[in-house]
Amino acid sequence: MKLLIVEDEAKTGEYLRQGLSEAGFVVDLTHNGLDGHHLAMTETYDLLILDVMLPDVDGWRILKSIREAGKEVPVLFLTARDSVDDRVKGLELGADDYLVKPFAFAELLARVRTLLRRGTTPATELTLSIADLELDLARHRASRSGQRIHLTAKEFALLELLVRRQGEVLPRSLIASQVWDMNFDSDTNVIDVAIRRLRAKIDDDFTIKLIQTVRGMGYMIDIPGDA
Amino acid sequence: MVRPTSLTARLTLLFIAVATVVFLAFGWIIGRSLESHFGTEDIKELKGIAEAVDQSLTTLQSNHDLTRVNQRFDDILVGHHGALLHIHDASKKTLYASPGLDLAAIPLPAPEQLTKGSVQQWKDNKHNYRVFIQQMSGAASLSNGPYTVVIAVATDFHLHFLRDFRRTLWLMVVCGIAVMGVLGWAVVRHGHRPLRHMIDKISRISTNELNTRLDPGTVPAELSELAISFNELLQRMEEAFIRLSNFSADIAHELRTPATNLMTQTQVALSQARSVTEYQEILYSNMEEYERMAQMIGDMLFLAKADNGLNPPNTDDINLENEVRNLFDYYEAWAEESGVALALNGSADIKGDQLMLRRTLSNLLSNAIRHTPPGNSVTVQLEQSSNDVVIVIQNPGAVIPAEHLDRLFDRFYRIDPSRQRSGEGAGLGLAIVKSIVEAHGGKITALSDETSTQFRIILPTSSSHTKEISD
Repeated sequence: MKLLIVEDEAKTGEYLRQGLSEAGFVVDLTHNGLDGHHLAMTETYDLLILDVMLPDVDGWRILKSIREAGKEVPVLFLTARDSVDDRVKGLELGADDYLVKPFAFAELLARVRTLLRRGTTPATELTLSIADLELDLARHRASRSGQRIHLTAKEFALLELLVRRQGEVLPRSLIASQVWDMNFDSDTNVIDVAIRRLRAKIDDDFTIKLIQTVRGMGYMIDIPGDA
Repeated sequence: MVRPTSLTARLTLLFIAVATVVFLAFGWIIGRSLESHFGTEDIKELKGIAEAVDQSLTTLQSNHDLTRVNQRFDDILVGHHGALLHIHDASKKTLYASPGLDLAAIPLPAPEQLTKGSVQQWKDNKHNYRVFIQQMSGAASLSNGPYTVVIAVATDFHLHFLRDFRRTLWLMVVCGIAVMGVLGWAVVRHGHRPLRHMIDKISRISTNELNTRLDPGTVPAELSELAISFNELLQRMEEAFIRLSNFSADIAHELRTPATNLMTQTQVALSQARSVTEYQEILYSNMEEYERMAQMIGDMLFLAKADNGLNPPNTDDINLENEVRNLFDYYEAWAEESGVALALNGSADIKGDQLMLRRTLSNLLSNAIRHTPPGNSVTVQLEQSSNDVVIVIQNPGAVIPAEHLDRLFDRFYRIDPSRQRSGEGAGLGLAIVKSIVEAHGGKITALSDETSTQFRIILPTSSSHTKEISD
C-alpha cells in the first residue's frame, strides 16, 4: 500500500511518515503543494493525505485538479481549521475523510485503514473468527471453543468491530463513533468499562487473552505473540 | 442611507420657520387692523357729511333757493379735507357738484341699497376715494325728490401711510426672522451642552475604565434614559470584557500546568540514561497530558465558534426520547459499575442540530452520573408543550451551594479548585452545554437542594431560533 503525504509542517510530516511506515505502508512525503500535485498526478497511490493549508497550492486545489484528471484515489484531509464550511467544501470537492488537528495518531491510522478497505471487502461474510472465537453475524451469537457466550447487542457490535479489524489498534473515539454513534470525545471512561465487561465474558475464562489494551492508543483484538 | 440633518441645524430651521409664521401672522393682523381702522374713520366722516346734507335737504324750502343751498353745502364740506359732494334730483338734474371731479360717473348701486346708503371704493386715474351714496327724500315740500347724494373722501393719504407702514413691517419681519435664526442657533448650541458633556465623558472611556458610569441624575431628564441605557451597555461590555480577560487568563493557566508537567518530566528523563521501559512510561505519561491539551483546545475552539455564531444550528427533526435512550445505551455499563440507575420519563420532539444537542445531553448526563452516590438514579424528564420543550436532568447528590449555581456554566469554573486535575475534563463541559442551548434560542438553569440537583433546559419549538444579535 503506497501513500502520499503532503504536509508543510516538517515535524508533523516526518512523524506521520515514520508512523505510517512502521504501520506497514510505503510512504512518500512532500512539503509543498506543487511537488505534491506533481507526484499525485504522475505516481500511483492508494491514498493521499493532504494538508489543507499549504504555502503554495492548497489542498483544495490539488484535490480539485486530480479529480478533474479523473483520478479516483481516496483523499484524507488534515486541517487546523474546523468549520462547517470547510467540511462541506472538502466533501463537495470529493474528499473522503477529514481530520482536525490536533488528532491522535491512532485515529489517523484507523481512518487510513478504513479508507483503504473501502470498496475492497464485500461485507457479506456470515461468520467472523479469530483463534477459537467465532461470531455468527446472522444470529448475533458469539462462541469461544464452541462454548456459547451471551452478549448484549452493544457488546456484540463492539466485539464485531474488534474482530473485523483484528490486529488494528482502535482508538476509543473510533469505537464510540462506530458502536454508539457518539461522534465527540467524552471525558468519561465509558469505553474502558465496556471493554472490561466484554473482556470478562470473552477472555476471563480462557488462557489466551484476545482483547489487548494498547496503552495510550486504544484497544485491539489479536492473538498474543502473533503480531 | 441618507444621514439625518444635524440636530442644531434642524432645531435652528424649526425656530426660523416658527418665527416666520408668527411674524407674518402678526404683521398681517396689524396691517389689517390699521386698514380697517382707516376704513371706519372714513366711513364715520362720510356718514357725518351725509347727515349734515340730509339735514340741509330737509330744511330746504324750495327748489329755487339754489345759491343759499350751494352756500350751505360748501359750508358742510369746509371742515372735511378733500371731501367732495354731488347731489342730483330724480330727473338727474345736478343740484350741487364739488369742483374737479365728475361724481356722476360713479356707478349707482342697486335701488334697495341706495335708500339705506352704500359705501364703496372708487378711483379715477389720479386718486383713490371712498364713496358714500344714499338717496334722500329731502323736505316734503320739495317736488323733484328723492335726491341722490354722492359723497367722496380721498384716501390717498391713508394708502400712502399704509404702504410705508407695510414696507417697514416687512423689513422688521425679515430682521426678526434673521435674529431669531441666529439666536435660535445659539440657544440650541447652548441647550446641547449637556449632550456634548456626555459625549466628552463617553469618548474618554477606554477599555481600562469600563467601570465608569454616567450619572443619570446630573443630565437633563431627556438624556437620563440615554445615560441609563448607555450604562447598561457599559455593564454588559464590562462583564463580557472581564469574562474574556478571565478566559484568556484561564487558558494560559490551564495550559501552563500541562506544559510545566511535560517540560519537567522530559528534562528529568533526559538528565540520565534510563531503561526502555522507563522511557516508555514517560512517553505514556506525556501523551496523557497531550490528550488533555488536545481536548481542551477542541473544546475551546468549539466555544469560540459558538460565540461567533459560526454554528447556525441545523434543523434536524430530533426525537429526544430516542436520543436519551441512545445515550443511556452508551452510558449504561459505566453507570452500572458506579451503581447508578438511569430513568427516562416523557417524550418530546424538537428541531435542532442533532450532534450539538446530543453533546449537550451527553455532557449533562455524564456529569449527573458522576455525581450520583451509588444506589441512586439519574432521571431525565422530557416535557413537550405547544411552545417549548423542557428537559430536566436530575440526580440526588451533594448540594451545590447557591453562590456556585450561576457560575457553573462559566468556562473553567470548578466548585472545588483542587479538583481541576482529577481527570474530569477542563471545566468546559457546562460552558459548551450553555452555548449550545443558547444557540438554539433556549435557556438552561441549575437548581440544587437536599433532595436533588437538577439542570433544566427550555428549548423553543419554533424553528426560528437563530441568534438575535445580527442587527
